[in-house]
Amino acid sequence: MMATAPQPSECVIALPGGWVKARKFEDALRRSGDALGGPFTSVLIQVPADCKLMVDVIIRLLSFCNQAAAMTKRIRLQFAEGSESLRGYLSRIGFFDHLLPTVEVHPARPLFSGADLHRGGNSGLVEIARFSGTKAADHDLVDNLAATAHRSCVARTDAAALKNAVFTIFAELIGNVSEHSQSSLDAFAVLQTYAGGNQVRMAVSDSGTGILQTLRPALQAKGDAAAVLSDVHLLVEMFRKGVSRLDDDSRGNGLAACASHAVRFQAELDVRLLNQRVLLIPSNNVFQPNMAYSQEELPLLWGTHISFSLKIA
Amino acid sequence: MSFVEANPGQAVFRLSMEGVEQIDASFASEAIVELVRRYRCNKGICLVDLLDPELRFNIDLAAARVNVPVAIWNGNVIEMIGGQPSQGNREALEYALKRPYARAAELADTLSLSIANASTKFKQLWEQGFLMRSESAADSGGVEFLYRRIG
Repeated sequence: MMATAPQPSECVIALPGGWVKARKFEDALRRSGDALGGPFTSVLIQVPADCKLMVDVIIRLLSFCNQAAAMTKRIRLQFAEGSESLRGYLSRIGFFDHLLPTVEVHPARPLFSGADLHRGGNSGLVEIARFSGTKAADHDLVDNLAATAHRSCVARTDAAALKNAVFTIFAELIGNVSEHSQSSLDAFAVLQTYAGGNQVRMAVSDSGTGILQTLRPALQAKGDAAAVLSDVHLLVEMFRKGVSRLDDDSRGNGLAACASHAVRFQAELDVRLLNQRVLLIPSNNVFQPNMAYSQEELPLLWGTHISFSLKIA
Repeated sequence: MSFVEANPGQAVFRLSMEGVEQIDASFASEAIVELVRRYRCNKGICLVDLLDPELRFNIDLAAARVNVPVAIWNGNVIEMIGGQPSQGNREALEYALKRPYARAAELADTLSLSIANASTKFKQLWEQGFLMRSESAADSGGVEFLYRRIG
């Protein structure tokens, strides 16, 4: 008789303490197995008391939880005792407002939404905004994000350039989700300034088909040489030169424009694909394949999750 | 574009950027740069009142990406952003941008080139969208081309 090992039905993801940037978040996901792609029927996320999540990680976590819920897995967020300040921040930024109601939160969801109470009241923060592949973003969203970035550094000589960069990047990323993600699950955008205003972190997270999954077949269909590039090289090409799904070369330049704006602020660019994360660091004012750091064979996360971290020091 | 089509007799269109506060990358590429490129060699489309350096940066990026030169006027001064001429044609372009009209024979004289060579430089600059051209009667009785700035 053949012995079969019982499949664990619950995936336990233990987030680390301290500041959690994308790399640490992905390491935690990887350590726990493939929560979304594997056979788990239940997912438990443990958040320790001293955990501090960066905004790009927060909307990635939000998408992750909602995807698990949409797959009808039982999903629980377990906050440790003493994590009031993180929960307060998550409430303030609107995390719980966008978390699907079937995601369980322990000890409890906040009674009031800090985002609703204080919306727009912080000059360095734009609360998480929701849109989707089937529902366009609020018309004023990109203007609001750009205006917030501008307010946070209005006295600086490069404030106008920063505003332009934030506008260009969000307009493109949010527009891409509406055009390509093909998902009715919500996508999210967020902006936060850090370290006394010396860093602006902006992120867009969607739960759609994935940027390379929509691009590569289109490139193959039109016989574009870029179709055979590795994921990392194709991603770098998109941000460096622009790669279009269409024959029309006036299209498909948006991400390259984002990159040109971002490198003015020595921005690091972090992209999470279905099973891979790529960090691009500019060198000589461009993003290059030899300055791309990749975490491969990660657990499944649907969609595309992009963040730019602009230095304004 | 429909405005350009509706005025077939008009050779030059000056697009004012006055009052424009922000444009995204798609608008810069698909509306402005694509318009300039589409009518290259046939119509001269230039930008005026483009004083905001950030707007200018966005249009420059979009135009450089597809190698389309865009003429911008600031008062009486013209400047080309976006696509740039080849090294070999740079001087010829600078010469033409400094005067209302330029002829190949004069360029040949100034830069000590053959007339055929000067003529080729201007023709390339016209084809690539840096200059406009029209025919005029040459002193010798034939036809020669007059090259001029866009705008």
